[in-house]
Amino acid sequence: MSGAAPEPAAAPPVEARGVEKWYGPLPAVRGVSFALAAGDFLALFGPNGAGKSTLLRCLAGLARPTRGEVRIAGEAVTGGDGAWRRDIGVLSHQTYLYAGLSAAENLEFYGRLYGLDRLRERVGEALEGVGLWERRGDRVRGFSRGMQQRLALARTLLHDPRVVLLDEPYTGLDPHAAAMLGGVLERLRDGARTVVLVTHNLSQGLELASRVAIQVGGRWISDEPRAAVDAHRWERVYTERVAGAA
Amino acid sequence: MGRFLGQALAVARKDLVLELRSRERLVVSATFAVLVAVVFSFSLDPTLRARSFAGAMIWVTVIFAGILGLGRSFAMEREQEALSGLLLAPVDRGALFLGKFAANLAILLAVELVVFPVYALFFGLDFGGALGGLALIVLLASTGFMLLGTLFAAVAAHTRLGETVLPVLLLPLLIPVVIFAVSGTQRLLVGRPLEEVGGNLRMLLAFDLIYLFICPVVFGSVVEE
Amino acid sequence: MESLKGTLRWAYALSALAAASVLATFWMIFFYAPTEREMGIVQRIYYVHVPSAWVAFLAFGIVALCSVGYLWLRDDKLDAVAVAAAELGTVFTTIVLLTGPLWGRIAWGTWWVWEPRLTLTLLLWFIYVGYFMLRGATETPERGKRFAAVLGIVGAVDIPLIHVSVNWFRSQHPQPVVLRPEGPAAAPEIVQTLLMGFLAFTLLFFALLLFRYGLERLRARAEALRVRDELDRPLSTSQGVLR
Repeated sequence: MSGAAPEPAAAPPVEARGVEKWYGPLPAVRGVSFALAAGDFLALFGPNGAGKSTLLRCLAGLARPTRGEVRIAGEAVTGGDGAWRRDIGVLSHQTYLYAGLSAAENLEFYGRLYGLDRLRERVGEALEGVGLWERRGDRVRGFSRGMQQRLALARTLLHDPRVVLLDEPYTGLDPHAAAMLGGVLERLRDGARTVVLVTHNLSQGLELASRVAIQVGGRWISDEPRAAVDAHRWERVYTERVAGAA
Repeated sequence: MGRFLGQALAVARKDLVLELRSRERLVVSATFAVLVAVVFSFSLDPTLRARSFAGAMIWVTVIFAGILGLGRSFAMEREQEALSGLLLAPVDRGALFLGKFAANLAILLAVELVVFPVYALFFGLDFGGALGGLALIVLLASTGFMLLGTLFAAVAAHTRLGETVLPVLLLPLLIPVVIFAVSGTQRLLVGRPLEEVGGNLRMLLAFDLIYLFICPVVFGSVVEE
Repeated sequence: MESLKGTLRWAYALSALAAASVLATFWMIFFYAPTEREMGIVQRIYYVHVPSAWVAFLAFGIVALCSVGYLWLRDDKLDAVAVAAAELGTVFTTIVLLTGPLWGRIAWGTWWVWEPRLTLTLLLWFIYVGYFMLRGATETPERGKRFAAVLGIVGAVDIPLIHVSVNWFRSQHPQPVVLRPEGPAAAPEIVQTLLMGFLAFTLLFFALLLFRYGLERLRARAEALRVRDELDRPLSTSQGVLR
């Protein structure tokens, strides 16, 4: 464990310090710093190309920041293996699923990688939680987009991570699946888990968030507690000013 | 250590289950190999004693059939970016490599189980009592082949050229494997005793051990974003 | 970014030394070394062929070391040295592959023969080709550098293995023609000319390496400036704009 905090519980679950990510000469993230407390639900908005996905990938240890660092529960995030990976779950618009395996097999595979015990049970519970128990033996190839995203969600939460990172999870979802996703996100606001939600869905984001930020051109131009924001005015100004800047 | 092996095994198993269900790599590689044997049959002078160069024919076929199959090794990870999903997990990158390598090796051995009998059939070869030695050569050479092959299949999967760059990268590097495998197979084919290929086996083993160490170590640098 | 003045100074200094030693070498090749009995004047190609081979492999050694360093430290300067060394290595490898057959045509009567060292050089050439293919074929330049570094490391490990295997292969299949690419036994003038050649080519290599490295760093700097220009439109927002 790093020497950053006297006791592990005191370290913020998610912390970014001066994170920059350049792809060759092109900047995607240009100096983002923030720290979340346990139980925070951060909604991150911004136009396309603002680098929100890149920032999320840096938080998840999928992209190595050009400068700065990310810490999960006090531990520095690297591109490789690490105990901190057990603490994070990531849901992207890519599902990370294997089309040739069944729903249960996909979850069991990931469960083995995370070294989970009571695997069969946990897989069963996870499938039931997203309403896919009846389809557990079917190949993912035959699943609709909504079903795949639900399975991906199950995969994200299978190992019960403390930090959940979601990158535009509503993309391409039918209303039924979107409602289910909303329900799951609600349940994630349990005070112990920390969530970062990147989304274009303003109303959903504002409803769930305890903290609201906006990223434009690789930088955060706004970062406020939800309580300080008036939802209607905010939505209007955002749509006028920021979304138009893309 | 147990966790490391468990993860490698999980990855290998996943790859093999997927391959057994679709069988695409097996079928493509094996069909290609048989067709190459057919082409050889027609292009070579039938009065020549095939025994004197069968080793070369067989291993050239195996190399090209193997490279063909390797091209698909990381293809399934590209769908839905499953590789990112793997990298998110607390998986040792070396274990990830070994799992993929093991699956690739198993598939290659399956293809070789087709190649050798087919060549024996087409060219009237008699492997006789040399099967034990042959099995050793095949195992050691295939291991070296798949160690480098798996590493560079991961590299190729992340280039714009994709699988087409594999032969250019792999063939020069595999020369030692080809040289020792072919000459060993050749000797056994003409009935030389096992002791005479001891040198070949030792060199193949050295090759394998060296890359068994190096490839898992650099694999992490290849698959990270 | 770092100042390249020091690099440039060294480059010029080395170039001067290299120019002097190359001139000296060629003088020695034509006026000092004795004419070989059997092959006459053409044998002098040898004094270019062998030092070139030395530089070709030295270059790859540098590529390998910088590749290890780059994968470990991710410092672009190390990659710049690697690509400079690789380019020069390719050039010198090509020289070896061109002078070899020229020599061979006269000495052995054939353009090409699977002599172990020539074979090894040919394979080295292919590895260099692969190195540049990888650099150019990736979505992002950074990944290309990483992949090339991996090939640099694996290639460097493989070269000795290829050497052993090719030598072994040759020992199993003795060629009818007796190959003595070393040329005639070591008269002192020949050895001295050869050593001079090694010195000259090595100096030349390092001089060119420094220039090429400087060029690579300048290119990176220019690219970064160009992009920074385009992107630094002032952001017209500040804290609290959405209150």
